[in-house]
Amino acid sequence: MTLVEFFRAAPVAPDILAPSLWLIIALPLLGAFICGVFGKMMGRANVQLVACAAVAGSFVLSLLAFWATSHHNPETGRLAAIFPNPFGIERDFVRYALAYDYGTWFSVGDFRVNFGLMVDHLSGILLLIITGVGFLIHLYSTSYMEHDAAYWRFFAYLNLFVAAMLTLVLADNLILLFVGWEGVGMASYLLIGFWYDDPAKAWAGRKAFVTNRIGDFAFLIGTFLLVLLVSAFTQQSNAADYNNAGTTAQHYTAALEKKGPVTFKGLEKMAEGLVDGSADKVDLSTPIEAGPLEGYTFGGVMTAAMLLFLLGAAGKSAQLPLYVWLPDAMAGPTPVSALIHAATMVTAGVYLFSRMSALLVLSPTAMATIAIIGALTSLLAALIAFAQDDIKKVLAYSTVSQLGIMFMGVGMGIFWAAVFHLMTHAFFKACLFLGAGSVMHGNGDETDIKKLGGLRKEMPWTWATFLVATLAITGIIPLSGFFSKDAILHGVHHNHLQGLEWVSSLVYYLGLLIAASTAFYMTRVYLLTFEGPRSKEARVAHAHESAWQMTLPLVVLAVLSVVAARYAFGIDLFNMTAQPVLDNFLSPVFSATKRITDASALVALDTSRPQLVPDYLKAWAVALAGGGAAAFLYLRYFPSRVGLPDPAFIRAVRPLALNKFYVDELYELIVIRPVKFMSFLLFRVVDALVIDTVAVRGTAWVTARVGSALRYVQSGDAQAYAAVMAIALLGGMAYALIQVMQ
Amino acid sequence: MVPITYYLLLAAALFCMGMFGVLVRRNALVVFMSVELMLNAANLTFVAFARMRGDNLGHVSAFFVIAVAAAEAAIGLAIVIAVFRSRGSILLEDLRTMKH
Amino acid sequence: MNIELILFGAFALLTLLSAGTVIFARSPINSAMALVSTFFFMAGIYVLLWAHTVAVMQVLVYAGAIMVLFLFVIMLLNLGESSTRGKPTVARVAGGAATVGLFAVLAIILLKLPAEPATLSTGAQASFGTIATMGQVIFTQWLFPFEAVSLLLLVAMVGAVVVAKSRI
Repeated sequence: MTLVEFFRAAPVAPDILAPSLWLIIALPLLGAFICGVFGKMMGRANVQLVACAAVAGSFVLSLLAFWATSHHNPETGRLAAIFPNPFGIERDFVRYALAYDYGTWFSVGDFRVNFGLMVDHLSGILLLIITGVGFLIHLYSTSYMEHDAAYWRFFAYLNLFVAAMLTLVLADNLILLFVGWEGVGMASYLLIGFWYDDPAKAWAGRKAFVTNRIGDFAFLIGTFLLVLLVSAFTQQSNAADYNNAGTTAQHYTAALEKKGPVTFKGLEKMAEGLVDGSADKVDLSTPIEAGPLEGYTFGGVMTAAMLLFLLGAAGKSAQLPLYVWLPDAMAGPTPVSALIHAATMVTAGVYLFSRMSALLVLSPTAMATIAIIGALTSLLAALIAFAQDDIKKVLAYSTVSQLGIMFMGVGMGIFWAAVFHLMTHAFFKACLFLGAGSVMHGNGDETDIKKLGGLRKEMPWTWATFLVATLAITGIIPLSGFFSKDAILHGVHHNHLQGLEWVSSLVYYLGLLIAASTAFYMTRVYLLTFEGPRSKEARVAHAHESAWQMTLPLVVLAVLSVVAARYAFGIDLFNMTAQPVLDNFLSPVFSATKRITDASALVALDTSRPQLVPDYLKAWAVALAGGGAAAFLYLRYFPSRVGLPDPAFIRAVRPLALNKFYVDELYELIVIRPVKFMSFLLFRVVDALVIDTVAVRGTAWVTARVGSALRYVQSGDAQAYAAVMAIALLGGMAYALIQVMQ
Repeated sequence: MVPITYYLLLAAALFCMGMFGVLVRRNALVVFMSVELMLNAANLTFVAFARMRGDNLGHVSAFFVIAVAAAEAAIGLAIVIAVFRSRGSILLEDLRTMKH
Repeated sequence: MNIELILFGAFALLTLLSAGTVIFARSPINSAMALVSTFFFMAGIYVLLWAHTVAVMQVLVYAGAIMVLFLFVIMLLNLGESSTRGKPTVARVAGGAATVGLFAVLAIILLKLPAEPATLSTGAQASFGTIATMGQVIFTQWLFPFEAVSLLLLVAMVGAVVVAKSRI
């Protein structure tokens, strides 16, 4: 049995597994319920067992589902799991995917949302990351939270988060995805403010929530725009449009009636229909004829919707201008930072755009905006990370920076590489965060890297795994981070957006700068934490290595961050021109996207592979330059100047970076102050005067006066009351009579 | 043939007489009887309209009204007995506890 | 002048006379007896409207069951003529006047209505208002209300026992 045959023989066939997909979400949800409601009386060990078992069960199901997508059915001769595309014609199948529709969730008039779940290769990868890394982090937490009294609350929230994130990934339509989107936001809020008796931490939770809400608002408006777009499309489209999308008007409208307008498959079909063609066809430059969007073109509305989704994704994935919450989110327990704020939730934006890539490639403007936002965020965060001394803060800014790189990839249309980087980042960043947590755990919760140092001998497992993850994120061959980042940079360099060719070069060179910066700050963190002598200000004289529950996940994640590099190569490892495995693997997901880019001139996608010379050498040189600079500064330069004042360039740059380029202060000035002033005004005028004085107290006053006047009418005589009713009846009848007479 | 209006007029007259009794009499039992008169007036309109439309639905409604009236009479008379037990009177002017 | 109109006139007159006795008699026992006769004459009116079943039920339920209940209560409480006359309070005068006004308004409205009853075919005449037709409707279309009413009667029975009992 060859490996390929092994993967094609899934233990559970897709047809059998599909109706049970809901269990993947239900298990962690049940775990959250049990831990949250009965946790306190169950005891620590049972709560840990339930929480870990729920995620482990979900992981096994996810594995089965992922496996089933590649299932080969010898009876029908089908090469893969398929299901009929509801929006297509009879023989239009979605390949390498399984889906199940549990019926209507709600419907309002024509608008309908189904509870439909779908697993394809994209969501399959995310499923495995969420449940796999999620399980490791649950395991890690059993040791990390061993002294915390509110352990049951912690595990309930953690399970709740996993359930929400799985909903986000499994959803086959935008509204259900939004449920998960909001769910992870809520779980994130609960976990950041987990130690809510510390006002700063509670505040950080609130900041994250409010910042996310701004993005969610944009997300919703984007969704509404898409709904309007779909209805305009169905009204104006003709046979040629549907022919372009490989379907017919009957099939499309019938599926719309059954599945609602917000399913991803339906939106993909519309995107294919909108690609320009003959003269009498609806395309991106056609104006919308009726409805609230009358007069705007399809392409314009699409760009607007995508930019709104960008704002939504910027909130969730911590991009400019909404990235400010993520560094503060480190107030939560470290496993939370690893799971939510590094591996899974913050990548939701990347997932969203990958999921809607077919719509995204219709709008080069939106793509360029995404790429530039990603690059700027990434560079800014990397520069801020230079001067941060809190190990978790550095990692947080590093996360923002890496997410920026993913956004660059998505924005420049190299979706598979963005997903690849998402995956490798989940491994090495979770490993780094858990390593940082292990360092904190062994050093009396010390987070200042200036007060650590020399941990290499005392915490060997943590050191080794942290080193591997650092090398991975820095981009040293042959670790996974190198290949995923390089795939993005290569794609960015060679893909072109129509009319915006300059973006490619700009983003590419910014990307090289980011790579060097990443190498610099990561090397700095590593050196200050693990190398050199132990700091004199350390809290404990000797660090102790953590328990196996903490080191095992570290080892697993470190191994994963090494072996994930395999996916960057072709099936034949030494063929440098072959299509990368992951690119091939994800191609069914992006098939509609590819058809659109092939048919239109909007986006030119390049399929060449990075070469040893010059691509790999350039990337390596950049990484070495950054890392070497850090090594020189922190191993030779600063130790030799102990006691001397800092040199001039440090004094000039350091305060700026240390204070995060004053972005928080800028927001304070231009957003928060005006909002506070408006709130104060509203409080004084509307709330205190109009509502409190006039409305509330006034109503009470009038009621009291009227009541004391009417008190005399209340005689207690039932007949008097009946007489009043009789008079009222007479009045009503007389009024009716007069109305009829006229 | 008798015009339906006559029946309806008779029903209206009965209803108003019942209402008059409810509003004017002070014996709770007589008030009760007047309520029965009003219910009968309603029944009469149901049956009259049923005849007018040639439709059995009015009869069914009257049937339900009679059933509910039976229930109402049972409960109402029980209340009258209970009130009489506790206060020794069933005159409405003696029962003014709603004031408090 | 046809016989139907004469019968209607006679029944209507007697009904109104009895009803008047109900509300004006000084003794409750007289009111109750007048109420029985009102119900009987109403049953006659129902027969004129071809509502045979309702007429039978009127006699059975009202004149039979409910009236016996009334009489029983009157005997139980040993009520005689009230010794004092009620004072004409403002509420009573206003209520009485409103009732008279209401009748006037209703009369004006009713006299404007089209008055002709539907002409029924021979087959419909034979089945209209019979217990068979009513049973068919009640036990198919109105089964749920019917069952609900039976439950209501049960509840009323239990309630009456509980309320009237001196000590539970």
